[in-house]
Amino acid sequence: MPISEQGYSHWTGTFVERRLPWWPITRLGIRMAFKRKFFKFAFAISFLPAFIFAAGIYISERLEDFQFMLRGRRGSTSFLEVNPAYFKSYFGGDFLLFMMVMIMVLAGAGLIADDLKSNSLQLYFSRPIRKRDYILGKMSTLAFFLLLYTLVPGVLFILLKFLFAGSFKLVANYPWIPLAVLLDSLLLTLFFSFYTLLLSSLSRNRRYTAILLFLVYLFSDIFFGIFYGIFRKPGFCLLSIKANLQQVAAALFRVKPPFDVPWIYSLLILAAIGLACGAVLVRKTRGVEVIT
Amino acid sequence: MTAVIRAEKLSKWYGNVLGLSDVSLEIGPGITGLLGPNGAGKSTLMKLLTGQLKPSIGRVTIHGADVWNNMALFADIGFCPEQDAFYDELTGWEFVTRLLSLYGFSRADAASKAERALHFVELFKDKDRPLRGYSRGMRQRLKIAQTVAHEPGILILDEPLNGLDPLSKRKVIRLIKDFRDAGKTVLVSSHVLPEIEALTRSIVLLHQGKILAQGDIPYIRDLIDKHPHKISVKGSDPRALAASLVAQAAVQNIQFGPEPGTVVFETGDRDVLFGLLPRLIVERGIDIEEITSPDDNLQAVFDYLVGT
Repeated sequence: MPISEQGYSHWTGTFVERRLPWWPITRLGIRMAFKRKFFKFAFAISFLPAFIFAAGIYISERLEDFQFMLRGRRGSTSFLEVNPAYFKSYFGGDFLLFMMVMIMVLAGAGLIADDLKSNSLQLYFSRPIRKRDYILGKMSTLAFFLLLYTLVPGVLFILLKFLFAGSFKLVANYPWIPLAVLLDSLLLTLFFSFYTLLLSSLSRNRRYTAILLFLVYLFSDIFFGIFYGIFRKPGFCLLSIKANLQQVAAALFRVKPPFDVPWIYSLLILAAIGLACGAVLVRKTRGVEVIT
Repeated sequence: MTAVIRAEKLSKWYGNVLGLSDVSLEIGPGITGLLGPNGAGKSTLMKLLTGQLKPSIGRVTIHGADVWNNMALFADIGFCPEQDAFYDELTGWEFVTRLLSLYGFSRADAASKAERALHFVELFKDKDRPLRGYSRGMRQRLKIAQTVAHEPGILILDEPLNGLDPLSKRKVIRLIKDFRDAGKTVLVSSHVLPEIEALTRSIVLLHQGKILAQGDIPYIRDLIDKHPHKISVKGSDPRALAASLVAQAAVQNIQFGPEPGTVVFETGDRDVLFGLLPRLIVERGIDIEEITSPDDNLQAVFDYLVGT
């Protein structure tokens, strides 16, 4: 008998609440990201800093083989020293932060905007999915990408250093590095996730969200540049998302912050933005309230 | 009737706007039609019944358990939203299996259930097409597929026939009747009266967030006996029939037409008039083609109740 001729019977199984109810949402988000135009290219390009820094670790242990590269630098190899500043250069690098924003634009802009546009929220919330599962699922999609560019390379750098140096001297000399890698990765991931999801929940149009994501990040830095140029006060770095992230990264890796402003202010600003984003996000993703 | 779904003194406000006011109802197995014009509160009621919205006042229970935040109960509810709710990039297969995975089914279980559901709505052969290429009827049937794929006992269908062509409409009506035959509890909303009539005799009339009436059509008709009831008689000599009835107290109004040979009587007591008519027809020897009661449709009931 064809399946279409079989009647439906009431399911008598027991419902078992799954341990990771948000995981299907994450999986779908990751899958949808790879369906976007240019995403694969941006995804690959974003690993460029990681490859360069990994190569740098290798070179730092084989300096005698790469002397030809140091010609013109008068033998200075300080930039190849794998120390906290090296890690900070990676985590606070302009290119990495820019590419992370690009990844958020391509993979994150539509995460909630597309659900709002296609009225999918009601499909989620009529299933055994709580609001926190939904938000967690969406955040995990972003976290997947962001951690690939932060935590994974960070851990790999440490392992590569162990491997190429044949010793644990890095951790012996700078024991805070593994924790700093973890904390800065989490900070970048949490901040960008909340930031992206908030903007994604403000519009039903992923293009507006993408533009907003990019412009807010860019203009916060432009405003800082303008004000700093006029008043010459480093305190204006607090206006810039990028500068705040770099300030905190410097503090976590215990190197001199790029601006002469207490890093804790930057952390507080990032935390406040993150919390505000989280609060608005929770409100915006309430069950669809429709009167028809 | 054993109530599967029970709403007790349900009210829902959206800020200052009252979406639903003091609604109490019981829904048992079979098809129940939720009828009301746009803005009556049908979707609000459905979202409350499916646990998507929290009531401002009152409670909704399914099988005796509170539905709000009750994840276990959600597994027994299938909800078909009014609007399209698709990512156009997905295929029909991906759409159904992804939604099934939210219930925690394994990949193999989700695949077999999706296959079954897509066969059920006759979309299996189109399962690998992107949704952007689906017609309106196919999208509507796909929504029904995702509603039934996890084999729930309760189906809440918000305007499932909206915008369908007659052929698709017939298909969907047949599907909904199949659910009824399988012993499921089905709540179907519509603002189009013949759609509900085609599905069920058991209706809930909703207007401005309140239940106007609830029950089967004759029961509701009894509720509105104070309104004149229309009886249309078509025959060879409608004027002779009208002349013989004009003196009867039960007749309040007589109209000829609109069809030739037709006379429409309005009565406050249809039982009396239905008793008189056959006797007079026989006594006067009037040829009669048909006697119908235009009020026995939902439009009339609805018009009476909302006072239009």
